[in-house]
Amino acid sequence: MSNAKKKEMIAMLLAGGQGSRLGILTNHVAKPAVPFGGKYRIIDFPISNCVNSGIDTIGVLTQYRPLELNAYIGNGQPWDLDRLFGGITILPPYMKAEAGEWYKGTANAIYQNIEYIEMSRPTYVLILSGDHIYKMNYKMMLDYHVQKGADCTIAVIDVPYEEASRFGVMNTDGTLKIYEFEEKPANPKSTLASMGVYIFNWEKLKAYLIADETDKKSENDFGKNIIPKMLEADEKMYAYEYKGYWKDVGTVESLWEANMDLLNPEVPIELNDPPWKIYSRNGFLPPQYIGENAVLKNSSISEGCNIDGTIENSIIFPGVTVQKGATVSNSIVMPGVTIGEGSVVAYTIIAADTVIGLNVKLGAGKETLPEGTHPDISVIGQNIIIADDTVIPAGAMVGESIAKKESE
Amino acid sequence: MSMKVLGIVFSYADRENLRELTKIRTLSSVPFGGKYRIIDFILSNFVNSGIQEVSIITRNNYHSLIDHLGSGKEWDLTRKIGGLRILSPFSNPGGTDNGTYLGTIDALSKNMHSIKRSLAEYVVITGSSFICSIDYDEIIRSHIDRQADITAVYARQRPDFELPDGIPLLRMDDQERVNELCYFNDDCDPNTTTFSLGMFVLRKSLLESLVADSIAYGRYDFYRDIIQRLSNQLNIRGYEYRKNYFEISSVSGYMKENMRLLKEDVRRQTFEMPVYTKVKDSVPAQYGAGSKVSNSIISDGCRIEGTVINSILSRGVVVGKGAVVQNSIVMQNTEIMRNVSLNYVILDKDVIVRESRQLVGHETYPVVIEKKSII
Repeated sequence: MSNAKKKEMIAMLLAGGQGSRLGILTNHVAKPAVPFGGKYRIIDFPISNCVNSGIDTIGVLTQYRPLELNAYIGNGQPWDLDRLFGGITILPPYMKAEAGEWYKGTANAIYQNIEYIEMSRPTYVLILSGDHIYKMNYKMMLDYHVQKGADCTIAVIDVPYEEASRFGVMNTDGTLKIYEFEEKPANPKSTLASMGVYIFNWEKLKAYLIADETDKKSENDFGKNIIPKMLEADEKMYAYEYKGYWKDVGTVESLWEANMDLLNPEVPIELNDPPWKIYSRNGFLPPQYIGENAVLKNSSISEGCNIDGTIENSIIFPGVTVQKGATVSNSIVMPGVTIGEGSVVAYTIIAADTVIGLNVKLGAGKETLPEGTHPDISVIGQNIIIADDTVIPAGAMVGESIAKKESE
Repeated sequence: MSMKVLGIVFSYADRENLRELTKIRTLSSVPFGGKYRIIDFILSNFVNSGIQEVSIITRNNYHSLIDHLGSGKEWDLTRKIGGLRILSPFSNPGGTDNGTYLGTIDALSKNMHSIKRSLAEYVVITGSSFICSIDYDEIIRSHIDRQADITAVYARQRPDFELPDGIPLLRMDDQERVNELCYFNDDCDPNTTTFSLGMFVLRKSLLESLVADSIAYGRYDFYRDIIQRLSNQLNIRGYEYRKNYFEISSVSGYMKENMRLLKEDVRRQTFEMPVYTKVKDSVPAQYGAGSKVSNSIISDGCRIEGTVINSILSRGVVVGKGAVVQNSIVMQNTEIMRNVSLNYVILDKDVIVRESRQLVGHETYPVVIEKKSII
């Protein structure tokens, strides 16, 4: 399109994954749309990072359960992305002249949108995923990429040696030039884990994407195919070391932990950061009302809540009601949930719009656990009803309503 | 709504003594209910009733109002057709006209160039002294059904509401036809307790001709010179608003009316329909380990380490350890440091109350601390 403005760098955000390790939390929504941190969704983090880094053109690649994500992103106004040029565009797979196909892999998803990228004629393309919680200035990474004269720069984070084998690990020389990439190595040679954040010179990447598409054996994946092929061809690839907070929230446990990190002043993720706000689509709820019986300790509570119970070490999303005598601790309560009188909720994630009856016990478990550990996190699904007096043990995953037991 | 309707808001009021609160802002941008300003309720009523074209008449101190409204996108009023227009006073350099208005009719007349351009068939006029949750669609339907020339929205006095001096009262017959307007404590029958909510519905063409006629005779006040003077000639009908209202004209009233939001039924009626406001992208409210909060309204972005009882906190308020805030209203980004004690205090925006300070007002005379003060 000749009337589009040329952009130095645009972002492509891979948001098509199901996130099956989050279990019933992704029954209705794609992982990037999962609520996080009291009023956000996971995808608010990479999008806000882009906007705060001066990137105003973002393509969001969707495939799995995109409806809620599409509605959430809308015209991009909450992130200041309703732009004359660029802005945010949802990119689902579509029919081409001869055929149409699903996104086969991360690289194929970008390949299928070459035309979209070319509209902005970018020099660089930033590839992101919608699975991580972090605040990062991509402009600084681009400066580094340009300064190194790199073809590809991969953001890495130094992880403890024991954990390195869970990640894609970059083996680098003294100048941080990458000479080898190992996906989940049993015996890692380095502790620099890939964050799934890449900057490519667009012309270079395009050539590799086109070549990869003709390779019938390829899985069309960045980590498995594109990066190794570029290394093999001795392209200039550098690691960019990121020092801040970064967390993959791909599992129930890590999602819970990342939420709890927000309540821990020792953990360096401060969301109350005016020059680096995390933007989100806000509802139209009144301020929260805290009743006469409420007891609140070390918790984060959002708009529209009506709290008359006890909340400790918990993250409460908008529009939640906690009635008198109910206790919520070490838990995450997503939007619109009601928790009835006398219920006790511990180490539980409750998904949106669910109703917990009276005197329900969620996350009930053994009283004594080894020090430094916590009970397994239980998960209660979206929009269901848990009847009065139900007891749900720690670590359970409940996806359907539980009716009241017939009188015993 | 099938009819095209223009909303007209008077953002200021003559009958108002809010002391420090309106020194730096016009009445309609006075904060209310935590994170809102009065204008938010007015615009939300329009938008919720399907009215997408709104003109706001300003007179003075309207800087903060313009700042708050921006392009109007938060109220969904950034429209190609209709949308939000702010009408500021117009003065000619060297002319005799210094940009002030001689009255409400004069204000309408001086903004008639803009009002005339609208393609709306009806206008809804409202002031900024009342906050309520009202469906204008229903009022316009009743206006048409009763073949009224003007519909005046009124309410009845509720037991806990003392009529303020000068509030316009409407006397009506049993068909709700308005036959007299008078001002409380002035020239009125003491049995009249139905008062105008400052909201009127009429055809835009009628408004245009009434304004032109009045100006020709040097008549400038909408209440006195249209409602009262023409009550015999025009079919002016009352429409009773029966739900909760808040009236804002004095500091003690402001405090009392805010505090009524702590009652559940008042909150429910006020927020039955969504109320839109400027989005600040604040983080959720954070409660520290030593916090104690009871019967209070708390907005996003607050950080509470101390005690808050029977109070209303706007966005981004910090309450330090050991501080006790009671029966108080605290506006945006104000910081209350450790061991401060407040009772019946209104703290405006961006105030800092330093450690261990104590401020005590009275329900009938709250202490008001001006914006950006450091105590």
